[in-house]
Amino acid sequence: MISAADIRTRFRERGFVVDDAFATALQIMLALQKPLLIEGPAGVGKTESAKVLSDALQTRLIRLQCYEGLDAMSALYEWNYPRQMLHARLSESSGATLEQREAEIFSEAYLLKRPLLEALTGDESPVLLIDEVDRADEAFEAYLLEVLAEWQVTIPELGTIRARHRPHVILTSNRTRELSDALRRRCLYLWLPYPSLEQEIDILRARVPGLSAHLADRIAHLMQVFRELPLQKAPGVAESLDWAMALMSLHREHLDARTLEQTLGCVLKVHEDRAVVQEHQHAIDPYLADAPAALEGGGYGLATDFGIGTVVPRR
Amino acid sequence: MYPFGDLPGNLAAFCGVLRRDHAFRLGPGEISDAARVLQVIDLTNQQHVRDAWRAILGSSRRTAAAFDEAFDAFFFPGPQGVPQEGRPSVTGRRERAGRGEITGEPRPATGDPGADRDREEGEGGGAGTVVLTDDDEMQDGEPTRWARASYSPFEAEGIEAVEMRPVTAAWREAAVALMRRLRLGLSRRWRPARRGRRFDLRRTWRASLQTGGEAVTARWLRRVHRSPTLVVLIDGSRSMIGAHQAALDTAVAFASVTRRVEVFAFSTTLVPLTRQARDAGAGRRVHASLGRGAWGGGTSIGGSLRTFLRRHGERHVGTGTLVLIISDGLDVGEPQLLRDSMREIHRRAAGVVWINPLLETPGYEPSSRGMRAAMPFITTFTSVPDASGLARLARVVRLRR
Repeated sequence: MISAADIRTRFRERGFVVDDAFATALQIMLALQKPLLIEGPAGVGKTESAKVLSDALQTRLIRLQCYEGLDAMSALYEWNYPRQMLHARLSESSGATLEQREAEIFSEAYLLKRPLLEALTGDESPVLLIDEVDRADEAFEAYLLEVLAEWQVTIPELGTIRARHRPHVILTSNRTRELSDALRRRCLYLWLPYPSLEQEIDILRARVPGLSAHLADRIAHLMQVFRELPLQKAPGVAESLDWAMALMSLHREHLDARTLEQTLGCVLKVHEDRAVVQEHQHAIDPYLADAPAALEGGGYGLATDFGIGTVVPRR
Repeated sequence: MYPFGDLPGNLAAFCGVLRRDHAFRLGPGEISDAARVLQVIDLTNQQHVRDAWRAILGSSRRTAAAFDEAFDAFFFPGPQGVPQEGRPSVTGRRERAGRGEITGEPRPATGDPGADRDREEGEGGGAGTVVLTDDDEMQDGEPTRWARASYSPFEAEGIEAVEMRPVTAAWREAAVALMRRLRLGLSRRWRPARRGRRFDLRRTWRASLQTGGEAVTARWLRRVHRSPTLVVLIDGSRSMIGAHQAALDTAVAFASVTRRVEVFAFSTTLVPLTRQARDAGAGRRVHASLGRGAWGGGTSIGGSLRTFLRRHGERHVGTGTLVLIISDGLDVGEPQLLRDSMREIHRRAAGVVWINPLLETPGYEPSSRGMRAAMPFITTFTSVPDASGLARLARVVRLRR
C-alpha cells in the first residue's frame, strides 16, 4: 500500500510537484481501484500526471487519446479480417466442421487489441490514460462504462473478457462538454486548478533546475497576474515552464520590459491577448526589473520575438 | 459536537446533508467507498480525510468546490466561517479579490451614494444567487455587479420571474427546419449505411457466415454530418420588454426539438435558462425565477457577453456552435467591450445570428452605438416576431464555415 506522502516523494523525484489533495486522490485511486477523473484548465499537468504515475509505479502506460468519432473499433478491439479470410480459405479443405472453423476464426489469436482491451489483458496492472474524454462523442462514454465499472469487455463472438489485473485508470477532461452523470459516478473526481504562487515556484525549481530563485519568483508572480487578466487563453503551467526555459536559454537573469516583450510569445498564444496585457501594464510593472544599462547594446540583444511575426511560411 | 456517536453514523448524516443542501448525487456505492477509504488513509489527519472524501463524494467542479464548506459546517461548526451580512460571500474565490483593480471594468461613478448603495445590495444578492444557480463556476460575477449600479437606476423595478410557455407546432416546425438547414462538415464518425464510401468488412464478414463464408452482400459505412449546437442569448433589458415573449418562444421552440441548445438571459447579469426552456419545451408552463438583474434591468450587452464567454465559452462555444443573440442592441456600456466580445464569439463559433426586434419597425437602421460595434461580426441579421419569422430565418441562416 502506497501512502500519500510516498506518492508525493516519488512524484517529486520525477520533477512533478503534487499537492495534498492530488496525492490523496491518487492514493485512494490505487487503494479503491477506481478510475480517477481529473478536470481542470488546459496546461496544469493532467496528462503528465498519468505518465509520471506509470513511471513511479514502474508499470506500463497505455494511452487512449479521445477524439470526435472515436469508436469501439479503435478503442476496444477489432477482428483481424485479412487473417481471418486467409485462414478461412486455407482451411477449406481441412475437413473440419463449420463450427470448428468458426471457433478457430473467432478466437483470441485473430483479435487485434486496442488500448482498452490491452489494458485489461496485461500481466500486471498498467496505468490507462483516457485523455480528453470530453472530445469523444457521448455515445463513446457508454463503451467506457462497462470497462470502468466491471473491468470487462464483452465481445459478441468470443464472450466476456475479464481483467486479470485491474488497470489504474486516469481520465482527463478539459470540459469542452459536460460528461454524463453515469461516467462521473464511476469515477473519483479531482479538480486540478492552477497552482498557487508557492506551488508554481516549487514546480519551476523542480522542472527547470538551473533557474535562479529570483527569476522563478518573478515568473510565478507574473503568471498569477496573467491568469487574473481577462485573457482569451490563460497561460497554464506548461507555459510558465516554456517561459522559464526560454529565459534560461537567453541567459537572462532579470525580467525587464524588453525581455518580456521578446518572450511573451511563450505565454500568450492569442494575438488579442497582447493588447489586453498592454492595457494592464500597470499590473505587470511592479514585477519587472529596470533594464540594466550595461546590457543595452552589450552584444547579445536578440532580434527574435519567439514566433510572433517572425515565421514566414514558405510558399 | 457530532450528531452521532459513531463514524458510520456521522458519515451517513454528512452524506445526507450533502444530498439535501448541496445537491450531491450520492448512492450507496459512494458512501461505502467513503467508509472503505478510512481504512487506507490516516484518520487522525483531518486534511487527509477531507481530500479523500472530496475525491469520492464530489463528481464535478461545482460539488468539489462546495464540499469544503459543507465539511467544515458539519464537522467543525463554530463561529468561524459564518458569513457576516454585507460582506462578500466567503464562498467567492478569495484570490480573485484584486481583480477589480486590473480588469478595467466600468465602475459606478464615485461620489454617487445611491450607486454605491445599490452596489452593496448587489453584492449581497449576488452571493446568494451564486450558490443557488446550477452553474459550475462561482466567480466572475463582479464586473457585472459593478456595472449594474451605474447602468440601471430602475433596478428595484426589475422583474424577477418570467413565464416560459409551450410553443405551437408552427414554432417547432420552424425550429426543426432551421436545425436541418444547419449543415456542418462531416463528422469523423462512421455509421453503417445502405450505401456509403467505406466497405464494412466486419458486417460483411458477419453476414457471410449465413451464406457459408461467401460474401454475397456487401455492407457499407458512411460518415455522418456533424450536428450543430445552439446557444441562445436573450437580452432581458427594459427596452426589450415588448419583444421578450417572442424571444422566449424562440428559445423554447429550439429546446422542444433538440437537446443541443443552451439558453441564457442577461440584462446586467447572466442567468442560465436552459433547464427552464427544456421544461417549457416538454409542454409545461414554467415560471423561471431569475435573480435580480437578469430581466428588466439595464443593458450591458458587451459586459454580459464577456461574462458568458468567460464562464461558459469554453464549454458551449465551439466550431460547431451557432450563437443566436436576441437583442435590440441598445447598449449603454463601452462599445469596445461589445466589439471585443463579438469578435471572440465570431472567431470561435460557426455563425452568429443577431435577432433584433427593432427591425420590424419601418425605417429602422441599425445605427445605435452597440449595433454599429456588433455589425461586422454578425453572419445573419434578422428579426423573429413570430413562428413565420423563425421559418424565414431557417431559410436565410448561414454558417461561416
